[in-house]
Amino acid sequence: MSAMLAIATVELRRFLRDKSNIFFVFIFPLLLILLLGSQFGAGSGQARVAIAGPGSALAQALTAKLQSSGVVVTASGENAARADLSRGRTDVGLFLDESDGAAFDAGQPAELDVVMASQSSAQAVLQQVRTAVQAVGLERSQLAALTGAGIPEDRARPALVQAAAQVAVPTVDIVDTNDVAQEFRGLGKFDLGASQQLLLFVFLSSLTGAATLIQARRFGVVGRVMSAPVSSGQVVAGQALGRFAIAFVQGGFIMAGTALLFGVDWGNLWLSALVLVLFCAVAAAAAMMVGSVIDNDTAAAGVGVGGGLVLGGLGGCMVPPEFFPEALAAISYATPHRWAYDAFAAIQRQDGTLGDILPQLGVLAGMAAALLLLGAWLLRWSLSRAL
Amino acid sequence: MTLSRRKPARKANLGTAVCTGTGGVFVEVVETLTKDVLDVSGLVKRYGDLTAVDGVSFRIRAGETFGLLGPNGAGKTTIISMVAGLIPANEGTVRVAGRGMTPAETEAKRIIGLVPQELAIYPDLTARENLRFFGRLQGLTGKGLTQRTNEVLELIGLADRAGDLTKKYSGGMKRRLNIGIGLLHRPTLLILDEPTVGVDPQSRNAILESVEKLSVEGMAVLYTTHYMEEAERLCDRIAIIDEGRIQAEGTRDQLITLTGGVDRINLRGGGSMVRAAEALRGLPAVQHVDNDGAGLMLTVGDGPTALAGIVTGAGQAGMSVTSVEIVRPDLESVFLHLTGKALRD
Repeated sequence: MSAMLAIATVELRRFLRDKSNIFFVFIFPLLLILLLGSQFGAGSGQARVAIAGPGSALAQALTAKLQSSGVVVTASGENAARADLSRGRTDVGLFLDESDGAAFDAGQPAELDVVMASQSSAQAVLQQVRTAVQAVGLERSQLAALTGAGIPEDRARPALVQAAAQVAVPTVDIVDTNDVAQEFRGLGKFDLGASQQLLLFVFLSSLTGAATLIQARRFGVVGRVMSAPVSSGQVVAGQALGRFAIAFVQGGFIMAGTALLFGVDWGNLWLSALVLVLFCAVAAAAAMMVGSVIDNDTAAAGVGVGGGLVLGGLGGCMVPPEFFPEALAAISYATPHRWAYDAFAAIQRQDGTLGDILPQLGVLAGMAAALLLLGAWLLRWSLSRAL
Repeated sequence: MTLSRRKPARKANLGTAVCTGTGGVFVEVVETLTKDVLDVSGLVKRYGDLTAVDGVSFRIRAGETFGLLGPNGAGKTTIISMVAGLIPANEGTVRVAGRGMTPAETEAKRIIGLVPQELAIYPDLTARENLRFFGRLQGLTGKGLTQRTNEVLELIGLADRAGDLTKKYSGGMKRRLNIGIGLLHRPTLLILDEPTVGVDPQSRNAILESVEKLSVEGMAVLYTTHYMEEAERLCDRIAIIDEGRIQAEGTRDQLITLTGGVDRINLRGGGSMVRAAEALRGLPAVQHVDNDGAGLMLTVGDGPTALAGIVTGAGQAGMSVTSVEIVRPDLESVFLHLTGKALRD
């Protein structure tokens, strides 16, 4: 037991000591999750409007109206607003000048310049801007009508507010009948990316980390270890535990890091941890196989990156598998990533219970057992080759 | 002239164990100097059609340093791999302190310390971390492991660099650590496979001194090398190995006698070398004279004794001697005599 733990500990220590690993194992995944969540995460489609021009009552009224309907409004200069539009940082630019503000103050019609960005979401935002402009115009007309009838403005405004409150505004419930959209219901901005990148990087790092196994053979350390009073079974178990520890430390770090930094909701933590444990066991076994079969550590790192990316892509770690065509979706179930992805999806999105994810856990456990047996056999073979 | 540095006198290491039991008191005296720590018998290793080791047998007693001297590819490392239980033998047996050694045997492995030819250390760990790792594999734990790690670091002179990654070490420092790991668990039998390969002269000397010291302290040492000087300096007994077979085994002096025990004297100079050669052939101490035009090469029984008469005779015959060299037989000569090739071929 002590020998096994010693081997596992030293493997983990060597992995963590590699400075490049610190970046690619711990920092890079979090950066990627942040980037993907910001760009494509739930809520990232929020409408953005830039209002350019001098401060005026019109600008204030439009800002308030747009914000009340959930639009993010930024006030900026004309050039800045045009730059934001051209770079896709905002959906619609509303350009006001002094004459517009004066006409609004006087209760006169005004013609506003609106520029729409090229992204597809801009069309819907433009519609929101139109609605807001109409509402502000209507309110201004109502106020003008009252003040024109001799009611002082300080009385007319509260009266209009009171009248508006007494009107029952019709509500619209939007029901998305799209199945794919329903799949992602309830996900936070970073939730999807976090589980995808966790699976991608844990497997990728495990495979590339197999290079340390090859180095141990190359350095002659394996021979020295085998001359100590330890059995080959203990060496194999120690290596397997070391691979597992490497995977689990990274997976645990991503889970904890994303929960703390980005507020990712991993659902039932025990169940998520169970999925992670089984997935790490599969990754560890795969790493043992790579490290046993290949004798060149540089080649192993290449195979690790290539294999990790391909399996991750197939398993839904790059594009959500809900968007896969039927054939590709079927193929994706050949990867452990897909089963773990489905398990995380059930836990995160549908508050899945142990019973709900038993099929996924069963498949992952089966994969882990089969690959561990094969990996152990290959590792024994590689140990004898090293002597 | 070959100079041979002899080993320091070994202290008598007669261990006495006293055991008490309900039936009375009895005393067991163990003569550790005469006890075989390693008994290798009829060892054979084949790789397909190639027989890498062919019927090798030898024994090592406690406190004895036994050398396997042979060129690269002679089978030394293969023998060591079988002795250390890394690979199985096709035939023959290895017994370490009475226990049979096989790859599956763990108890016999506790008794040996292996220092492989390659630097079997993790370059991305410190010396202390390397020692602690291998110490744990040997069953050391806790304070015992810490204490022994510190002792070994002092012993190999790396205490002040114990926290540095070993990839920053010089070749000599790595070699010392490589040996230190083998000593960590105080093995009864230390196996050193060409431990000075690629080491600077200063570090080599330090390593050889360490091995001498260990031997004096009673450790049995199996030492492989293709450096004749190391075998002569360190080993009580030497087996000359070539093509997987032991060609001869014995003390240095015993092996030297295999060559006939003759010395060679080389005379360099000018004058009448033909007449000098004729005159010297008549001397009773001289067995053979060669004249290569630049000097004379004589074969004699005992070089130092015959030297004065030879130089006088050469001078009287008209040769002006400018330099004299006595070449005494060494293990290189023995290897050449036994195999017909140089040790470093």
